[in-house]
Amino acid sequence: MPMSPAVLDLEEMQHTQAEDSGPLVTSGPANGESEHDSAWLRETRAAGWETFTALPMPVRTDENWRFASIKALSLAAFSRPLPLTEAQRNELRARSQGLDRVAGRMIFGNDQLLSREVFSEDLRQKGVIWLPLEQAAVEHPEIFKKHFMREEAILGGQKFAALHQSQARAGAFLYVPRGVEVELPLETFHWLHGANSSCFPHTLVVAEEMSKVTVIDHFASADSEAPGFACGVNDLWLGTGAHVTYVCAQDWSRHTLAFQINSTVAGRDASAKMLTLNLGGGHARGESISHLRGAGSRSDMLAVSIADGEQEFDQRTFQIHEAPHTSSDLLYKNSLDDKARTIFSGLIRVDRKAHQTDAYQKVRNLLLSDEAEANSAPGLEIEANDVRCTHGATSGQIEGEELFYLQSRGINRADAQRLIVLGFVQEVIDRIGNDQIAACLGERVQAKFEGSRRSR
Amino acid sequence: MTTDTATEIGIDRNVGDFSYPESHAYDAGYGLTPATIDYISKVKDEAEWIREFRHRALDVFNSKPMPTHWASKDLNSIVFENIRYYLANGQRATRSWDEVPDDVKRTFERLGIPEQERKFLAGVEAQFDSEAVYSNIKKAVGDQGVIFCGPADGLRDHPEIFRKWFGKVIPTGDNKFSALNSAVFSGGSFIYVPPGVKVKHPLQAYFRINAENFGQFERTLIIADEGAEVMYMEGCTAPKFETATLHSAVVELVALKGAKIQYVTVQNWSANVFNLVTKRAIAHEEAEVKWIDCNIGSRLTMKYPGVVLKGRKSRGEVLSIALANDGQHQDTGAKMIHAADETSSNIISKSISIGKGRSTYRGLVHIPKHLKGCRNNTECDALLINSNSRTDTYPAITVRGTGNSSQHEASVSQVSAEQIFYMQQRGLTKAQAMSLSVNGFVNDLVRQFPMEYSVELKRLIDLEMEGSVG
Amino acid sequence: MSSLSIQDLHVSIGEKEIIRGLTLEIPKGEVHAIMGPNGSGKSTLSKAIGGHPDYTITSGDVLVDGESILGLEPDERSRRGLFLAFQYPMEIPGVSNANFLRAALQARLPEGEEIEATDFYAQLYAEMDKLDMARTFTARAVNEGFSGGEKKRNEILQMAMLKPKYGILDETDSGLDIDALKVVSTGVNALRGPDAGFLVITHYQRLLDYIVPDVVHVMVAGRIVHTGGKELALELEAKGYDWIKDEMSEAALA
Repeated sequence: MPMSPAVLDLEEMQHTQAEDSGPLVTSGPANGESEHDSAWLRETRAAGWETFTALPMPVRTDENWRFASIKALSLAAFSRPLPLTEAQRNELRARSQGLDRVAGRMIFGNDQLLSREVFSEDLRQKGVIWLPLEQAAVEHPEIFKKHFMREEAILGGQKFAALHQSQARAGAFLYVPRGVEVELPLETFHWLHGANSSCFPHTLVVAEEMSKVTVIDHFASADSEAPGFACGVNDLWLGTGAHVTYVCAQDWSRHTLAFQINSTVAGRDASAKMLTLNLGGGHARGESISHLRGAGSRSDMLAVSIADGEQEFDQRTFQIHEAPHTSSDLLYKNSLDDKARTIFSGLIRVDRKAHQTDAYQKVRNLLLSDEAEANSAPGLEIEANDVRCTHGATSGQIEGEELFYLQSRGINRADAQRLIVLGFVQEVIDRIGNDQIAACLGERVQAKFEGSRRSR
Repeated sequence: MTTDTATEIGIDRNVGDFSYPESHAYDAGYGLTPATIDYISKVKDEAEWIREFRHRALDVFNSKPMPTHWASKDLNSIVFENIRYYLANGQRATRSWDEVPDDVKRTFERLGIPEQERKFLAGVEAQFDSEAVYSNIKKAVGDQGVIFCGPADGLRDHPEIFRKWFGKVIPTGDNKFSALNSAVFSGGSFIYVPPGVKVKHPLQAYFRINAENFGQFERTLIIADEGAEVMYMEGCTAPKFETATLHSAVVELVALKGAKIQYVTVQNWSANVFNLVTKRAIAHEEAEVKWIDCNIGSRLTMKYPGVVLKGRKSRGEVLSIALANDGQHQDTGAKMIHAADETSSNIISKSISIGKGRSTYRGLVHIPKHLKGCRNNTECDALLINSNSRTDTYPAITVRGTGNSSQHEASVSQVSAEQIFYMQQRGLTKAQAMSLSVNGFVNDLVRQFPMEYSVELKRLIDLEMEGSVG
Repeated sequence: MSSLSIQDLHVSIGEKEIIRGLTLEIPKGEVHAIMGPNGSGKSTLSKAIGGHPDYTITSGDVLVDGESILGLEPDERSRRGLFLAFQYPMEIPGVSNANFLRAALQARLPEGEEIEATDFYAQLYAEMDKLDMARTFTARAVNEGFSGGEKKRNEILQMAMLKPKYGILDETDSGLDIDALKVVSTGVNALRGPDAGFLVITHYQRLLDYIVPDVVHVMVAGRIVHTGGKELALELEAKGYDWIKDEMSEAALA
């Protein structure tokens, strides 16, 4: 792997400040951390900014934004990522509690690198590259250019993907060489700090032939009441026979406008598994596309969303089968309380040559209150022969019988409800097949229930 | 079954050679005019209100356009002027047994249809004397106080029972074809079950067989009074020889408080028939209506059995199997209108498309915002055999709390040459493999049909499968 | 004659010839591996032997224990003792794994004989335990919703239940991570013995660390171009397929 002569000093990076923040919408593309910043990256950011300003904001009549609360999308109040004091940095580092056993951990706050630790010695020996985004762009330009923002966002969030492209500085770039299996997960934290700050988390994973790796991102706001804007992108690229598991545990504040745009490209016989846990955000929109590009590839798209108060979770997905013998399996479960709203729109497309495709799509909505509202719009477009597709959506309440049973064992109603919801989402969490991660996510879900209860 | 190639449909002269008697005792002639209505009403000696009902319907029919903006353009092949709207008793067209196509004869054989019935179904005999066969059952039913007769008798002899609901479940103006039926209806079953009576034997259209029951414009009205229970079965798996090619029936069901009605249809019309049926039920408090439908024949079937869930805790179900072979289009679905709290509806639709056969599912489920505790379950699965033609209409589903819930599942799958090879590689013959796949697909639904049908249905489906994977 | 014998086989799909004169003999008791680059015709070979309708055998012969199977339907070949573990196993919705296996076993019994249910389930559960498969699999539809690893395991389960004389494993390792690979390999190794012969087709050497072959063949452009012991697989992995191509004379590859 050719390395450019300028290697950014990680130590140095951790101490630089963010620029002066002004309003986001007029700020122009972000500037990099150092004068070694790749010219290519600067151009890419500029192009992103142009596209962002050229595209109009979504309107109610856009098919891709049907059912969504368009008014909540205004960016006027937000500033660029706010600078952090040393004390704030320390605080965020201390609060970054995730998994116990990981191969490495990176922490970002308002798009500034706060720390990077590698625990598995053999990562380097095996040739695994795991670097902050900007450093990767400088040290491994070929691979970076080949994969950074290469897939178009087509589910409606183009304007916001372009904004992200113009601001992206923070996040993890991961490259796993041929045949390497990384046992423990690689973990990254992204924090939003300060009222109306913004951040643009980026995760880019390139897994070569027959490699295997697990990545987990944690998103959180330092202040659970502060407004903010998070606009993240995660792209996964899987070579022949690669296995990638990606988990995103999102817990921004209740007043955060959040976007998460994902694209996964699976090569021949590769297998991608993605799970998003949505707990936070006032209005959180996820767009997820799986390209089953190589024959025999597979994608599992999973999500658990726990919505209460006036939260709105808007999820748009696309399972695209481009080659024969591919399979995709989508399972999204939503729990809605109070006046929460969820929207799910999922399309499955099977191209003409994608014979022997198996595609599944299931959405389950659990309504815990009278005013909660779940919207589902499935869609199928099949052009090939030899195809099997199923899709379905369920919306319902907790069975009175179940609730009564638990209460009859001495469990109070609120706890009983919580147990039932946990059971409801457990199926999805278990699909990840990793006990450590399952435990962590389970705790987060519990914590949300505790928090919600206290605030009532 | 041969595929009709004629593009204009009037009387079909392609299906075997047959003869009409030279003169008919009652024949309204071709075409539909007010004079036709008067003729029919006079022959039946109908009360004035019925004749007016028919005339109003004719006006509505003429004023409505063909629904080709959403339905199959094939409907344009129907030429109303070329159709005979009334052919009297005993004047059914006949042909000789030699003229019956071999594959039809083979089907009778394979399905084990009794000799006597074969001739009638094949159009060789004009009458089928059901009196002898079913008289015991008819007597038992009569003893329970059940009224079971045709529309003419029903409206004349028991107007106080039937007039109340006639045309109320399906108003004349509901669609063009219900209007047509309301103008020229003849034949069908009018049934009334008194309160609390649970009819033990399924009532069959066969009990009242005559030429009119294979008429084009049957009108059926079944009223189950409070707490009553009845099952009605129409049709059969054997292919039916049909000259008239437009069938536009109307079926109205009324289930009063706590009543249960099951309506089973097996349709296997010959491949030249347009089968356009309007079927709807009104379910009152705690009543249940179940439509069990199997559509195998016809050139085009349009049928969306529906239930209006008018009373609290009422329940509606549609279980439907459709099979479309080359040259056929099964356009089926269901309509569930929730109009009271705690109502539930269940739709399970399975369709099989072979080669160029087309199957379409149209589902409509309406649960308005102000209702509480309503549930809907919709499951719609399509199996394609050597085919890739499939269209579905799924409206987006919004559910709001207040105890409402909905479940919607849909799937499309194929029995492909690859799948057959896979099963053969494990030791199953091609026929065994095909049968295993298709039966696995429809098994759950076939089991819901009354036993008399389910065995025949399985055999019929296997028959249709033969030679479909090549 | 206790072998699966492939004699100068030529196979075409439509007009295009894929297998161009392949000869191979797999005696009972041995495991042979075929390695080859993509496009060498590996999958075609297994499907043609299985009797897939899309593939035409234009000349040559395939003999199971001395008798030709050409012209026989796929199910007849299966009943003669041939098992094909597919690279992409099919889903069969509505048909449970248990019912499918029963039907397959039933098809091998003479007319009138029935599979004994308790024996069947006892055997099925024993084999599933060996492959670390949960009991819930029996009621699920064949391969429906199964992950890649689960599908491959299911193939091995079927092979264990049907006890073939000759098993052809077509790229059984594609899409598997190391853990799944180990489970599948253990399953195959458990079936090795004097009464069965195996042909393991793969692109990667990795599988052969776990299913150690007696003989390794290299297939390029529709022919066997080289044969050796298990070390050949390691050499191939280290040097790549281009090495073999370079080693061949032009005549051999023409």
